[in-house]
Amino acid sequence: MSLFLYQLRGELWKLFARKRTYIGYGVFLSVELLVLLLLHLPRTQRFLRRMIENSGGLFDEYFSGLTVALMMMAFTLFMLGGLYLALVAGDIVAKEVEDGTMRMTLCRPVSRIRVLAVKYVVCVIYTFSLVFFVGLSALILGLLVRGTGGLFPMIPGVNLLAFYDFWPGLGRYLAALPCFALSMLTFSTFAFQLSCWNVKPAAATISAITVFFVDWILHEMPYFESYRSWMMTTHMNTWMNVFREPLQWSRIVEDYAILLGLDATFLIVGAVVFASRDFKS
Amino acid sequence: MIELRNLTKAYGGKPALHDLSLEVRRGEIFGLLGHNGAGKSTTLGILLGQVYPDQGEALIGGVSVQRQRGRALARTGAIFEAPRFYDYLSGWRNLEIYTSYSARVPAERIKEAVAIAGLTGRIHDRVGTYSQGMRQRLGLAQALLPENEVILLDEPTNGLDPEGIHEMRELIRRLNREHGLTVVFCSHLLVEVEQLCDHVVILNQGRKIFDGRWADLAVDRREVRLDVDEWERAKVLLSGAGGVRIEGVGMISLDADCVIADLVARLVHGGIRVSAVEPRRRSLEQIYLSLTHPGAAAKS
Repeated sequence: MSLFLYQLRGELWKLFARKRTYIGYGVFLSVELLVLLLLHLPRTQRFLRRMIENSGGLFDEYFSGLTVALMMMAFTLFMLGGLYLALVAGDIVAKEVEDGTMRMTLCRPVSRIRVLAVKYVVCVIYTFSLVFFVGLSALILGLLVRGTGGLFPMIPGVNLLAFYDFWPGLGRYLAALPCFALSMLTFSTFAFQLSCWNVKPAAATISAITVFFVDWILHEMPYFESYRSWMMTTHMNTWMNVFREPLQWSRIVEDYAILLGLDATFLIVGAVVFASRDFKS
Repeated sequence: MIELRNLTKAYGGKPALHDLSLEVRRGEIFGLLGHNGAGKSTTLGILLGQVYPDQGEALIGGVSVQRQRGRALARTGAIFEAPRFYDYLSGWRNLEIYTSYSARVPAERIKEAVAIAGLTGRIHDRVGTYSQGMRQRLGLAQALLPENEVILLDEPTNGLDPEGIHEMRELIRRLNREHGLTVVFCSHLLVEVEQLCDHVVILNQGRKIFDGRWADLAVDRREVRLDVDEWERAKVLLSGAGGVRIEGVGMISLDADCVIADLVARLVHGGIRVSAVEPRRRSLEQIYLSLTHPGAAAKS
């Protein structure tokens, strides 16, 4: 185990020594600021006021730091999260194969599955760190700009109506972060699996994004409503159920069981492909 | 120390290696020579467990790479023609990362390998700032870690200037001599293999066409230029003698056990006037070409 941690440390050095990783965090912060700005435009404010007041809440009470943070996090991760996770997870194996560093690693007396396991743990860490970074930075920004107040989870396209006071709302918000990260992990795992094939890193990244966007578009089309349970994005959206009152545990557990099953399937396929291929310059 | 048994490999139906068997003894500098695409890298890939053979197996220290890769490679290091590193990290960090996949290597041991490779002064600089020669040295340092007995070198002098090539060659010799390392040296450059290796295997289109010492290769056949008055009749007489091959007008090559004086006597008795007999030592390049491209050798 200690050797695994030693190897993991090396992989984390590789990831976090790259400027690109930090540029990503910077971009996320910029998008959050942009969303924050957009939420304060007069027309947006009028729309939000109507939504909150029509639902029975007070705008000044519920257009708070928590509500703004949730909107910033959801929009930012929806717009950019998938792209960045696909970039990192799609690169993590394929780029090393392309650069020749994977062959150098595989000169060592280590099994290919072990190398993949270390890299996958890095993917998991990156996915969680990204979601937590976006979630917590959105929370800090939201609280700084709008202050404390109740939470009204306004997520477009989701039939969700709930009002929370500050502390219960904060608890739900913080509980949503690991759930959101677990949902995004399916995206990372899918990109990671593609990265294990004999493809260019860009091909793995683009394929992952394409599959998930097609899945999402099909999920949004009313014609395919009866097939939604077969779509990944249906189960990935389950993080929003954390905001429902009462909490629907059975639904959350079922969705995450399906997602973890998918993750395991993607991992096994990736590992089999990676373990059986030839590495040649 | 290393044994390859009947290795066969094809990529998409195209043969890359055909029934290759060879043996490398402990402590020797072994050369694997062949032009690009001859099968050297495939052989090395199989030895490192990075390429799966269709048939046969590779053993290091008596352990099968295909069945117990971890154990077989426990004391084996390798570098490829252009060792690849994480350019944005220091040389030291790169060594720590690569060696972590073998064992926890003490800093003292890393320092020692860095000193052997002659990189002490620059090891904490980013690899992106290294010259090609420094990258090769770093590659060699990582191949020495943690405590390897065998190093596999695939075109390690590629991209080096003449001084760098000389230094690399001396370093490999020193490692072999002072540290008792067994070295497998793959190259398409005849001169490199000639200067460094005692034992050599020549590959051509995935087949082994020579396995032995340079000396065996050099005395295997000798060339002789004959100046005679009637070449066509002389050719007939010479063709009747065993161990003689006609290479061109006035040129013959002889088996090692063939005596020139006997051939001259045969010509004289046949009524041929022999005005000159000039034995020629073929260069290694000619011998190599005659093995890999018989037509090209005759022209040269």
